[in-house]
Amino acid sequence: MYAPSTMPAETRKKALALPGDEGVFFFITADMAMFALFFLVFMVGQAQAPDIYRASRAALDPTLGLLNTLILATSGWLMVRAVDAARRERWSAARRNVIAAALVGLGFAVTKAFEYHAKISHGITLNTNEFFTYYYAFTGLHFFHFVIGVLVLAITQAKLAAPEGEKTRIWLESAAAYWHMVDLLWMVLFPMLYLAGGTA
Amino acid sequence: MASAPMTEDNSYGAWKFCAWNGMIFMAVFMYFWGWLGHNLPPFAGDAPASEVAGYFRNHSDAVRLGMVTSMTFAVSYAVWGIAIGKVMDYAIGRGHILTDLQVWGAGLTVVPILVSSSFWLLGSYRPEALDDTTLQMIYDAAWLLIDLAYAVTSVQMFGLGFGFLRDKRAEPFFPKWVCWYSIWVGFMFIAECFMPFFKGGAFNRSGILNFWIEFSIFFAYAPIITWYTLKAIGRIRVENGD
Repeated sequence: MYAPSTMPAETRKKALALPGDEGVFFFITADMAMFALFFLVFMVGQAQAPDIYRASRAALDPTLGLLNTLILATSGWLMVRAVDAARRERWSAARRNVIAAALVGLGFAVTKAFEYHAKISHGITLNTNEFFTYYYAFTGLHFFHFVIGVLVLAITQAKLAAPEGEKTRIWLESAAAYWHMVDLLWMVLFPMLYLAGGTA
Repeated sequence: MASAPMTEDNSYGAWKFCAWNGMIFMAVFMYFWGWLGHNLPPFAGDAPASEVAGYFRNHSDAVRLGMVTSMTFAVSYAVWGIAIGKVMDYAIGRGHILTDLQVWGAGLTVVPILVSSSFWLLGSYRPEALDDTTLQMIYDAAWLLIDLAYAVTSVQMFGLGFGFLRDKRAEPFFPKWVCWYSIWVGFMFIAECFMPFFKGGAFNRSGILNFWIEFSIFFAYAPIITWYTLKAIGRIRVENGD
């Protein structure tokens, strides 16, 4: 059985420490709490009008949703590789992985733009019904988080071009934590909007 | 460690008074603007015009008093921002651009509060002479302005958050969580952008997301920041040996 109490105090402290800047985790926690409320509001709406939600969900393409899930998961994996490389002080490899994470992540924007365009051209907008209100609002807010994330990755790769040791590693880990939050929120949004409750 | 960017008399009493203006603003805003103005919560976007108009006609004196007081004290938000800015001078050095953003953001926040309050005051000035839809339009205009002007306050919050994160003291004036809270509140205000698209539901001006959550995190903001600002002023005074 794993017994943390047998570990040296310093090692244990290091193992339990949050990666990156702990202040960023306050932001992430608060943000995820806000999204949890969004999800709760959606669930309540779905329980009150299941037929509307089912019929509306049928208009969404789960293949695109799945594609975006794979894009973000791959991008997240590249960020894990970047953090791993930075911890070994392989800064160039870390930078390459961050750039790759950003480039792969941009695929999410392309898919989302395609999806929004298709919906709007079929006359499905924010005011079509409650389901689509939430669909646009929640995916829109998530997309805003995504855009900020891409900007953070752009800054991160610039910092990795001239690394400053511990300081740069903490920045990278914080950026990766934020990027994983974007990923995780989508992992909930995708089944909730595209799959849960079935289609008509 | 006092970085002592200032050599003049700091007038700690005046400085603390300015810092307390955050609480003064919030108390006035909640009671006079919120309670007397029927803005806590507001009428929903889909409330009938007759309901909104009826409130203005039946409670015109209360709305007038609420808005006159709200307009008078709106400037206390800027005064508060200046007190915070002076603490930032000590934390990150005088003349930092993030301090300027914080001060300007706080100062500009006064404008939408002042102007939107004047709209509500306008509605209460001669409501008996105006028809229901005109009164509803005035009420709508006030809410659209106060909600959609969120970005100026976000500038203050980003300036404050990112500014105090640069405080290199062993024990910074503002804990990291407060800095990130400030950044997060400024960030989440973007949800206000949904408000004009809805007249009912969670995103309408009185909905759980656009009103209850967004305004709650804003109402909690001033007491938290004021607390740490006052603590910082006390520490600076001790560090300066005044």
